[in-house]
Amino acid sequence: MKRLHLVAWLAAALLVAACGSSPGGGTSNANSYSGKTIKLGAILSITGAGGVYGPQSRDGANLAVKQINASGGVNGAQIALTINDDASDKAQSAQVAQKLIQSEQDLALLGPTLSNSAVAVHPLAESLKTPILAVSTTGIHIVPDCNFPATTPCKYVFRDSLGEETAIPTNIKSYATDKHPATGVLLVAQDDKFSSDGGKIVQDTVAQYNINLLKTIKFNKAEADLSPYVTQAVQAKPDVIFITSLGGIPAKIMTEARKQGWQGQFLGGNGFNTATVSKQAGADGKGARSASAWYLGNTFASNKEFVDAYKAEYSKDPDQFAAQGYTAIKVLADAAKRANLTFSDLAGDRDKLRTAMESVNIQTPLGPFQFTSTHDVKQTVWVIAMDGAGGFTLVHEVKQS
Amino acid sequence: MDQQILNAIFIGSIYALFAVGYTLVFGVLDILNLAHSAVFMLGAALTYSLVINHGQSFLVACIIGVAASGLMGLVIEHVCLRPLRRRRAPPIAALISTVGLALIIVAAIEQGQRGTLFGWLWVDGANSVAFPPGTIPNPTWHIGDLTLEASKVAVIPISVALMLALGYVIRYTQVGRALRAVAENPRTARLMGLDVDRMISLTVVISSALGGVAGILFGVALGDISPYIGRDNVEVRGLAVIVLGGMGSVPGAVVGGYLLGLIEVFAVVALGSGARGGVAFAALFLMLVLRPQGLFGAQLREKI
Repeated sequence: MKRLHLVAWLAAALLVAACGSSPGGGTSNANSYSGKTIKLGAILSITGAGGVYGPQSRDGANLAVKQINASGGVNGAQIALTINDDASDKAQSAQVAQKLIQSEQDLALLGPTLSNSAVAVHPLAESLKTPILAVSTTGIHIVPDCNFPATTPCKYVFRDSLGEETAIPTNIKSYATDKHPATGVLLVAQDDKFSSDGGKIVQDTVAQYNINLLKTIKFNKAEADLSPYVTQAVQAKPDVIFITSLGGIPAKIMTEARKQGWQGQFLGGNGFNTATVSKQAGADGKGARSASAWYLGNTFASNKEFVDAYKAEYSKDPDQFAAQGYTAIKVLADAAKRANLTFSDLAGDRDKLRTAMESVNIQTPLGPFQFTSTHDVKQTVWVIAMDGAGGFTLVHEVKQS
Repeated sequence: MDQQILNAIFIGSIYALFAVGYTLVFGVLDILNLAHSAVFMLGAALTYSLVINHGQSFLVACIIGVAASGLMGLVIEHVCLRPLRRRRAPPIAALISTVGLALIIVAAIEQGQRGTLFGWLWVDGANSVAFPPGTIPNPTWHIGDLTLEASKVAVIPISVALMLALGYVIRYTQVGRALRAVAENPRTARLMGLDVDRMISLTVVISSALGGVAGILFGVALGDISPYIGRDNVEVRGLAVIVLGGMGSVPGAVVGGYLLGLIEVFAVVALGSGARGGVAFAALFLMLVLRPQGLFGAQLREKI
């Protein structure tokens, strides 16, 4: 019954998409939105625990808005993006979303930064029929089941960030194919949803590649002294240590394990994918692999232009979060361009935008970009390794079919 | 296993050093100074900032860090303790005022960004930082299966030396005798011509300086300095240590610190990694039920 429901919904969505796109592509002229404003609202964690990610998302999104507006806007309409800090707080995040949707009357929303807040914000946007594009959430049950445990697909929720469900297995598969490791140990922060979700994914994946998980070692994220756990891991003499944590923890584990003389391979998730982590780990992190949504050194045009423009604007290198924030605006602009917006019927415009988003197919810094039928990102995955000096090198390019 | 014993002695040294300061104030004043964990954090944060953001040498930074922690003790005494003591407020009032000061210190550090009011003290906001490799010489030796890392190994003799020095001062010097007299009975001490307020100030300053040293050692050896290291790592554990050892007993805090380190590490080894926190507090609970005065509570009738 559930499956029938899903199929019916997909068919309907495709039909709507097909109907919506043909007049959009054929009749709209380039300046039909001239003089109008497309209002977008971003809910980001600029302060609080998510404050290490939100500012980059903001900078990436602002850069895209600036570029689009400078080159004539979206069919002549200017984009007005507001950045709203949710202080990494779930309740505040939902309050901001309510305000943006109902009083500000924004066409679509971006965010929120943390999966924990998305649990409150996404169902709200869904119930108020407002398209929302997640730019950094990698947890499970973001799309399409935003109302988890209810399984009805959310129609208005999209994601342009690479979920751990894709990233971690892709990384393990690529390493298993290269080196055929036999044993592994998993280190997981048991009191952190991001880390424990990642840990579950590792546990569910390793058997497929004949890796024997010798031990799962749990610790609490606030513990500063991780040495007893690392000693346990090292004494098991595994080929691989899996780390699914965030922030400073991966680097600490790497440093401690190397000090204790362990020579094996570190594999991780999205928690590895910022320069900060690579820098903290330094030489001890060299070779640690993870799957990333984006790679700084990619030289294809849509990434090179982004990296150059970002450096010129902010005098520093962008990271994955900046690239995803930038991509989000490009995706929404492309959808808005094709959506035949009226600028008089907000509910109708939100529906049109949502429909147009389903057929986005553009070049972005992340690579060729489309949404899957469940509104998740469909993009090339970049397997990267820390270079021991605060950066990353590209190991594999994994195209998603 | 050997490595785990070393891990236990190392973290035990830090617990002990932290708890000695905690218990010292309790022994003299019968008040739990809950701002102690904030001073622990402040010592680490200030030392880091002086080295990384102000270009000081590590040694100079440590000296200033410890001195500032000691001065923070004066602030605790003059802001949280003395005004309430003058009004004969119950100990619980002083406990609450130290909690308040701890929250203020943590919040002030947390707000530290470049260009803000506390930017000179801390620029990393709520983030956790570590001394970058190379800023502090930290050779690592391998002996058999054992890994000996200089920054961790150094913690042990430094802590032990400081605790021995404190023990000597309390037991064998004029100042120590005065401290013990104040702890025993402040009114009698005053009648005997002792400046009780001054002795209390001294106690809180020594206690806070030791807390600062513990914080610096912790930050350097574990590579984790953030506004929350005190609250998350030593605040409640320090309390557990002094209950294990006997409230107000300095030797008890030392033994309790190493005991807690050992219990925690062996919980990880024997019962699985998830058991660390739980087993430590199960031991605390057992101690409270079986021997509420703690390990050293009964033998030492006199305080500190």
